Amino acid sequence: MRILPARFKVPCLRSCPALVVFAALLVCGALGARSVDAQQRLSKRYPTGKNVHITLKNISGTITVESWNRDEIKLTATFDSPKANIAPRQDGDVLSVDMMADNRGRSDVGDVNFNLQVPVNSSVDLQTKRGQITVTNIRGKLVSAHVSLEGDIVLNGISANEVYAQNTIGNIHFDGEFASGGTYRFQSSKGDITIRIPADSAFNLDASAPNKKIALNEFWNNGFRSLGDGRKLQGDVVDGRSRVYVTNFQGSITFLRR
Amino acid sequence: MNCEKCQDLISDFLDGALSHEDQKTLNAHLGECLECADVRNDLQSIVGFCRTQRGEYVSPPNEKALWQRIRNMVESGAGSVAVATAPARQKSWSNWVGRSWELSFGQLAAAAAAIVLVVSLSTIVGLRRIQGGDTAKSGGYIGPANLSLAAASVHERVAKQQQLISYWNERVEFNKARWSPQMRETFDRNLAVIDQTVNDSMNSLTQNPHDEVSEEMLNAALNEKLSLLKEFAEL
Repeated sequence: MRILPARFKVPCLRSCPALVVFAALLVCGALGARSVDAQQRLSKRYPTGKNVHITLKNISGTITVESWNRDEIKLTATFDSPKANIAPRQDGDVLSVDMMADNRGRSDVGDVNFNLQVPVNSSVDLQTKRGQITVTNIRGKLVSAHVSLEGDIVLNGISANEVYAQNTIGNIHFDGEFASGGTYRFQSSKGDITIRIPADSAFNLDASAPNKKIALNEFWNNGFRSLGDGRKLQGDVVDGRSRVYVTNFQGSITFLRR
Repeated sequence: MNCEKCQDLISDFLDGALSHEDQKTLNAHLGECLECADVRNDLQSIVGFCRTQRGEYVSPPNEKALWQRIRNMVESGAGSVAVATAPARQKSWSNWVGRSWELSFGQLAAAAAAIVLVVSLSTIVGLRRIQGGDTAKSGGYIGPANLSLAAASVHERVAKQQQLISYWNERVEFNKARWSPQMRETFDRNLAVIDQTVNDSMNSLTQNPHDEVSEEMLNAALNEKLSLLKEFAEL
């Protein structure tokens, strides 16, 4: 059965190539939109007390933690692979996420990027094999950031008794305070380590950088012991009430006054 | 075939002692079950390592006591089976060694752990001996003979550490195929950075065997490499 007159059939497309292009663009746009939608998102809130401990073991992807003025944790994870299984566990004030354990036996689950908002006095123990770790304004007992391979570590506004930051390739930036009696360890294989602290900081330092400069700037004093032509420095700043260990195999170490 | 049956047969499978039909059934199960395939890979890695390294370990300080501990570990792993075969345990040492390839997976894993323990102990003992020697020498004149001796000690120590690294490296290589290409590239690039530190430190120590900073960096870099390999052997 003929619905349209014959003249409408071919001439319509022939005379309107723009229509064809427009249709193709629409299809491409739809496909593009679909790929954006393919990124999945998980968001959960966990009511807690004020002294929270968070352990997050990621495989690949970034981790961002910042404090907020609420007695709860908000965890958001964005990921591409539908195979990724994210199963946070809460036990009182302790929240744990272990991507290794939760995805054992699965093949690659791709990047999972975590974003956490936590009470200001939280302790955080964060690990990822690759990807940046950023922690902002945390005043808990522990701040630990470990990137097994590659990724910067940025710790801003930190006041904790114990701070550990370690990566293989990537910069480490610490901006915070050294608490009396606290322990602080920073280690990188290739990247620059920058430590920005108040001018009146008091600590005992053990710093090694065999290939690049150790710059203590205002924190330098004549009491420092220099080993191996300045590749290692040991000594006290003021009374050395906290212990600071910094090792950088191939990058520099810089101390800056806040 | 279920997983329990499959894991019972894996040891015989690796020894080539399975019937054609059992092999076929086992292969079909391994193709479907990732967990059993992992067990097969781990066991294959352990057996391969034992075969290549057999008889080449450095003796620990108290060899008899160590072997007694290994024996205890293996026997406690065997559980009730060990109780049933208690009279057989009275046989000579050579008999025990002779039946090593008939061990269950648990027993083999314990034996492999013991081997790693032996190598670690040897490394620690070696390190302490070297460090003690260095302290004693540090104040005096270092003659050419002492220089070459110290350099040889460093190389010897690194060689021992490399045995452990080789073991874990093999395990990592088994697993690498499952990683994403990005993860493989990143891992290799990062390991190369650590290797660079090891090489730099070794070169410095060859020129000045008593350079404390280079020695410290060498130890730190080797430990870093080992811990990275251990971590990624689980991935």
